[in-house]
Amino acid sequence: MTSCLWLERPGKVRWLAALALLVLPLLPVLPLCWQAVTNGDALSLGWPFSRSLLNSLLVALIVSSLTFLVGLPAGVMSALYEFSGRRLFLSVVALPLLAPSFLWAIGWSALAARLGPWATGLISGYTGCVLVFFAGAFALVLYAAMAATLSLTGSQIEAARLAGGEKAVLHYAVRHAAVPALLASVLAGVLTLSDPGPGQILLLPTAASEILTSFAAHYDFEQAARQCLVLGGLVVLLSLPLVFVAAPIMATELLARQMRPLHRVRPARAHWLPIGGAVLTAILFAGPVAGILLPIPGGLELERATREVLRTGMNTLLYGFGAGLIAAVMGFVLAGVVGRDSRLRAITLGLCLTAFTLPPALLAFGIIQASSALPAWTDLFLRSRFVVCLALALRFFPIAVVLGMRAWGSMSQTWVHAAAVHGISGRRYLRSVAVPWLLPSVGISILLVGLLAMGEIGAVLLLHPPGQSSLPLTIFAIMANAPEALVASLCLAYLTLAAAVLLLIWRFAGRYHP
Amino acid sequence: MGALRFCGLLGLLFSIGAIGGCGKAEPHVVVYTSVDEAFSRPIAERFEREHKFKVFLVTDTEETKSTGLVNRLIAEKNRPQADVFWSGDPVRTAILKSKGLTEPYLSLEAKDLPKKFSDPEGHWTGFSARARIIMFNRDLVKEGQEPKSILDLADPRFQGKACMANPLFGSTSMHAAALFDKVGENDAKKFFEAFAANGGTILSSNGEVRRRVANGEFAVGLTDTDDYNEARKEGKPVGVVYPDAKGMGTVVVPNAVVLIVGGPNPERAKKFIDFLLTPEVEKALAESEAAQIPVRSGVLTPTHMVPLDQLHPMDIQYENLAGRLEDLSKGYLKDWVDRNKK
Repeated sequence: MTSCLWLERPGKVRWLAALALLVLPLLPVLPLCWQAVTNGDALSLGWPFSRSLLNSLLVALIVSSLTFLVGLPAGVMSALYEFSGRRLFLSVVALPLLAPSFLWAIGWSALAARLGPWATGLISGYTGCVLVFFAGAFALVLYAAMAATLSLTGSQIEAARLAGGEKAVLHYAVRHAAVPALLASVLAGVLTLSDPGPGQILLLPTAASEILTSFAAHYDFEQAARQCLVLGGLVVLLSLPLVFVAAPIMATELLARQMRPLHRVRPARAHWLPIGGAVLTAILFAGPVAGILLPIPGGLELERATREVLRTGMNTLLYGFGAGLIAAVMGFVLAGVVGRDSRLRAITLGLCLTAFTLPPALLAFGIIQASSALPAWTDLFLRSRFVVCLALALRFFPIAVVLGMRAWGSMSQTWVHAAAVHGISGRRYLRSVAVPWLLPSVGISILLVGLLAMGEIGAVLLLHPPGQSSLPLTIFAIMANAPEALVASLCLAYLTLAAAVLLLIWRFAGRYHP
Repeated sequence: MGALRFCGLLGLLFSIGAIGGCGKAEPHVVVYTSVDEAFSRPIAERFEREHKFKVFLVTDTEETKSTGLVNRLIAEKNRPQADVFWSGDPVRTAILKSKGLTEPYLSLEAKDLPKKFSDPEGHWTGFSARARIIMFNRDLVKEGQEPKSILDLADPRFQGKACMANPLFGSTSMHAAALFDKVGENDAKKFFEAFAANGGTILSSNGEVRRRVANGEFAVGLTDTDDYNEARKEGKPVGVVYPDAKGMGTVVVPNAVVLIVGGPNPERAKKFIDFLLTPEVEKALAESEAAQIPVRSGVLTPTHMVPLDQLHPMDIQYENLAGRLEDLSKGYLKDWVDRNKK
């Protein structure tokens, strides 16, 4: 019988295992990057790419800062307090994660076009891009802050309340959730760097659109790979200080005696919270949703929309759920392997941020090239729906890593020591203590990655097996020329499907956090 | 442990679902297409009804928001999944030919199609076409003031009121390459510079051009006939000009279909290509929302469209445009977009 102490034992094996797991998501892009570095001409950045890079970084910085400032208090309050419409608010804010960002950009752009040139001027460029990216990023930060706050125990919250009232509770919870929320906001900011859609539609030159041009207008994979490397390198350089500050804090332990979960209370001025939630929701969604759905009065094409939902709905759910599951398993295993070594945690976070900057197309091309070079029997995996899930998981798994590191870190070392004293095996400790403790965070990570993966189209477009399209991809493929009413009907069908999934999830989650 | 078992069960179901369905036993043909799904799917469904085997359609658009199926085809070169590529324009197929991805196939159905819209070596065959047109907003452009030529988009009367899609992508890129080919490098550059100096705007796609002109944000925009038809059907106050009818000619963009070399189902692929090149498909595409102009004589053109024989098509060597476009999109056009995209 192996003692459970190995779970906390440091050593070189952890470094080797962690690096092996971290190389995995980069594996498909390595041959292309190698070719780009060795075969191609030296990358001349030039003014256009530098300007686009600057635009991208500025947008990412604004989005990160805004989401941190708004998402952190919103997440903390949603975890601490009960208020009318709380669950609805938490469900609705996840909607932008489900839809591809270009859809929101088109929504804003369509609304502005109806309002007149002043509105188009207002929404073009930085403003529009920030609004679109903020909607998706906000949910990430809110959920990260909420998950971190929920890891506080009832005893800690009550102690803070007794010491200084609600102000002290808020202060304590915000301090506790600040680092995960900051990391989530940085991840969200980094995620904006590889998304070309909003910049293209809202007329802001970005690094991602430069990379897209290298792919789609020049058919130059190597140039695109070189541009990706520059972008990734820059992000690592800029986020390095944060990574080193955040890494040790990611392992704040909870002691065994603190196990009582916190209970939400209804504060005295609870009526302000739903109003705040409603205002936020309106800012995030009312505009783009109105822009997308306004053509519906011209004729709701229900029959066609239903047919498309039936044809592609299952694949959409499968891609999202599959990616969430794979990413959560990878992320939590990696987080467990990394353990409490702060240097290894810092390197892991740094590499995760690098992986996050890579556009999905680069990863997808790596997989396509590998699959066409390998024998036909590998098609069972490399040209099936599984590979779509895998690619999406590799794209979004840094989110699961962050949540996993936080969840593993919150487990006290004394638990393992106490179990070892009683002769508990590693397997039994994992089954009876660690896994049940990690399960809510695993669930949140499946949910977050799954929602993001459902709305992703870059990788799905390039990897989906013929005949296995997803609903967002179908909307993307028809929206250029189909009647506005049909596009609007499909968007409505998609939003309804997404809302139904979210409501089911929250109903299910409600059984764990009533 | 109930939750654990539940997760395990979900994992198992996922694995079955993800891997299942990839071994497609039923007879099928895989068609990659850059023609909008709204137009291509009904054609594929009609083929399925007539031939009793499935068409797995993989769709994309020529918009600026995607890396595109052409790239997927290039990346899959060693062991392709696609049997057929049905392109919305012949330039992409010419690019595939230059990269050795196409196999010559001379369909018997193509015998009455005009040769000028197909590859002389039979690598791609052109059929139903769109035309590059100028769409204008009737509320903003008075009668008699309509532009007559693409060069009019740089006219001071449309200062700040003209738009076009990004010329690095889609049919606009083909139009730009054709313009350089026809009027020469100096005059083409002069036009692009004048368009920008006149406050012309670069939008992300032809769909955006349609939407913004129809909504009155711009007075005139360069786009395709199918976009105009869509706006017309939606009852927007729009009008159409087939530009340069008296000068260099209107750019006509035929669909093009190619047989992918080494595709897994070559015989079924040929049947699909044969079907696509029939007069019935040309008629269906003309009558659909795509409003594609039939290129073979004898197929009736709906009354709201201008038949090909009443147009003055620009004389274009389509097979030469791929190389021209490649040079332009890495050189002048890239630089122009970088300088002028607001």
